[in-house]
Amino acid sequence: MKLTELIEPLSCKIIHEGSDFADTTIENVTASDLMSDVLVVDKHNLLIVTSLASDQVIRTGDIVGARAVIVVNGKALPATMSKLAQELDVSLLLSPLTKFMACVRIGRLMNTE
Amino acid sequence: MKALPVNPDQSPLVVLDLLFKLKIKDVMTAEVITVQRTDSLRKVQHLMRDSRISGVPVSENRRLFGIISIDDIIRALDAGHINDPVDRHMSVNVVVLEEDMPLSFGISYFDKFKFGRFPVLNHNNQLVGILSSRDVSTTLLLELLKEYRKIEEQLPHHAPQSAGPISQRFRINRYDFENAGKAAQAIKKILIKRNVPSARIRCAAVAAYEMEINQVVHSIGGNLSYVIDDDKIELFAIDDGPGIANVDQALEEGYTTANEWIKSLGFGAGMGLTNIRRVADEFSIRSTLGSGTRVHAVVRLKDSNGSATDKTR
Repeated sequence: MKLTELIEPLSCKIIHEGSDFADTTIENVTASDLMSDVLVVDKHNLLIVTSLASDQVIRTGDIVGARAVIVVNGKALPATMSKLAQELDVSLLLSPLTKFMACVRIGRLMNTE
Repeated sequence: MKALPVNPDQSPLVVLDLLFKLKIKDVMTAEVITVQRTDSLRKVQHLMRDSRISGVPVSENRRLFGIISIDDIIRALDAGHINDPVDRHMSVNVVVLEEDMPLSFGISYFDKFKFGRFPVLNHNNQLVGILSSRDVSTTLLLELLKEYRKIEEQLPHHAPQSAGPISQRFRINRYDFENAGKAAQAIKKILIKRNVPSARIRCAAVAAYEMEINQVVHSIGGNLSYVIDDDKIELFAIDDGPGIANVDQALEEGYTTANEWIKSLGFGAGMGLTNIRRVADEFSIRSTLGSGTRVHAVVRLKDSNGSATDKTR
């Protein structure tokens, strides 16, 4: 699944486009607000779905090699977060959906492939 | 008059430098809330409540006539003249600052006059701002942060790119979530330059990151150092305390002593040490209650078959 396919179904606002944003493929998804749990995930082409709006989400994403982060619940993002996303080259999107609904829609998209 | 609130002989130059370099106009609030002479004290009372301020200059066309403080309002309420116009009760002998004075001057005024705020005038005696102690502390903190960053950047921590053992030490401060992860990030960069397989880089970065977070969350501060050679990275996390009461318990997955604030930041799930042990090839922890904790981890930098090629991406 391409990351860009998620934008419309999840009504995402794009905060930062990482390099090859248009071609970013997502194969695995983890939905968590606990960064320690995310750090356990050892999967490629990973997308992190979280309702935690903090710089540490981006750092964690960078460390586990995640391709993108979607912050749900339309959270207000700290200004430093998009800056860090740029610096570490992690795509950052913001969705107004709840974490559950976002996951349901991502799940449906992944299933139809 | 005390010239400065700090001792010039014992304070870091950076602080003294800021106090003289910054001008009142760099620190003041430029958008001043004012009232006119004919406004009622009642209006001022509402203005103070709505804008959460405790003093309002009386000014028309940037000319300053006086100042009304919250004390004047309380007195007016007491004496029943709250509906009087401002100019009957304002203080007319206003202590003012000039916009080009150094900040040190402004600070000494707070000490000397015990007022909560000073109107700021320009050369033409026009009201251009107001200085409160809040403006001073906020600006100083921000400026100190900038200076601190500059100093940090000058530290020789740019690791060489060539092979051969390299090491570096990072200072980790309590509750400094903003910088937690910077050591892990630096380690990751170095290992990428050394063409270490990405799965191995990931293990090293996760271990370093969890060590940083542990020190930020649980310790009163500490150091994280690494030594990288051709085969492995060794990580040492040594903190200044307070130590772990029961190390076996701390190593149990899910055991945590973190408070709700830390959990709201996405950490403190009781996974840290477990995660380090999981990704490391060697792991040890020693802790003494009252003195500190020392965590040591080794991550091998070659895939198990010995090749240094990247199979994972």
